Amino acid sequence: MSIIAIPSLGNGGLNDQMSPRFGRCASFTFVEVENNEIKAVKTVPNPAANAMGGAGVQATQIIGNNGANAIIVGFLGPNASSGLNALNIQIFQAPNQAITIKEVLNLYLEGKLQTIATSNVASHYGMGGGGRGMGGGGRGMGRRNLP
Amino acid sequence: MNSKKSKIICITGGKGGTGKTLCAVNIAIMFKNEGKKVLLIDGDVENPNTYLLLNGKLENKKDVPFFKPKINEDKCSKCGLCAQNCLANALLHIKDAFPIPILTVCSGCQLCYKICPENAIEADSKTIGFIYSTKINGLSLFLGELMPSEARSAAIVEALLEKFEEILEAEPEKFDIIILDTAPGAHCDVELLIADADIVIPITEPTKFGKLDLIRIMELIKLLGKESRVIVNRSSLLGFREQFLKELEEENIKILGDIPLDSDIVESYCQGTPIMDSNSVFDREGAGYRAFNKIYENLKKWLEITK
Repeated sequence: MSIIAIPSLGNGGLNDQMSPRFGRCASFTFVEVENNEIKAVKTVPNPAANAMGGAGVQATQIIGNNGANAIIVGFLGPNASSGLNALNIQIFQAPNQAITIKEVLNLYLEGKLQTIATSNVASHYGMGGGGRGMGGGGRGMGRRNLP
Repeated sequence: MNSKKSKIICITGGKGGTGKTLCAVNIAIMFKNEGKKVLLIDGDVENPNTYLLLNGKLENKKDVPFFKPKINEDKCSKCGLCAQNCLANALLHIKDAFPIPILTVCSGCQLCYKICPENAIEADSKTIGFIYSTKINGLSLFLGELMPSEARSAAIVEALLEKFEEILEAEPEKFDIIILDTAPGAHCDVELLIADADIVIPITEPTKFGKLDLIRIMELIKLLGKESRVIVNRSSLLGFREQFLKELEEENIKILGDIPLDSDIVESYCQGTPIMDSNSVFDREGAGYRAFNKIYENLKKWLEITK
């Protein structure tokens, strides 16, 4: 059994859109997976969405406290990545496009997502605005682990 | 800072590249030429380069430590109080696990260290930069340097000011004139230095950027309740001098003087021999040399009335 966390744009759930931002996403969807099948889905609002600073660390705390073993991310900052690494949570890179939680989860279950070890954007990348992200500039996304 | 014997003059300016360091170094040298005991403090800790303009070397390097929380796992009860109260969110705490400090976020406030009920957080430290103290041609220089990739530059400025205050306490008459050279911008590094000054000299240039950034720094100076007079550097740039001076007057900004474009200044800058050095070979009648002299005279008159 493993629990996969996915940053979500709205209230979370399989039909919600995935959020390209990690620390400042609106909520997290936690999906319990066993034998490559979805067993349970839970959503948790992200209290760090409007944090002054350290949103990545606070969001990592939510991920850890909900027992996640892995997370799928769009953009990931350096503080969040140190936190996730310290907790030994596997980080998977989502494709650079608008995508639903269900779709990205299927890619994960099919083994089509690659793991990343470090951040792919600088601190505070996801602050302000909100629209910036997947399908837009796509700086660095999905490119980092190409051989 | 209450030593009324010495005068503290802060050179700042909002915009980068306006000539803050050039003015700070040459003003310091003009006081030194008159036999004053001068201390120059380079508080532009991300790009400290006064020593280059003075053609000197940095000496007496000292580490600047910065607080870093260290969890003593033998004492920690995993209660999470530290993480709940950390305003910077620099402690990652998962239930039933030891908190993990994320140092890139830590502001060094030490709250966790003070509130831990088990005294399980130890005050460790890491080096984030250095301060140097040296003497170049009779001019005392303190300089701060932040290590690349470190963010807490104000801690280096604070270390410089602490060292300075220690010296003033031990020997109040060691220096007659203290010149503070700030970083560009209107952030806390700059604010710390302006707050310590008796008078403030913002350096600007006759461009739109120059004016915009000058108005920002003037707001900060006003907030800190300091008197200021501006030097307009490169004032002959494209013939905008009169218009620019008039614009500053309309903003009720007082002028200390202006420095025209001058090849001697450029040469002195490139060679690291300050134009106002008593041994420099530059033309005493040149436009740049005369401009600095006039600024110095105006500055002395201003210091008289602020006594």
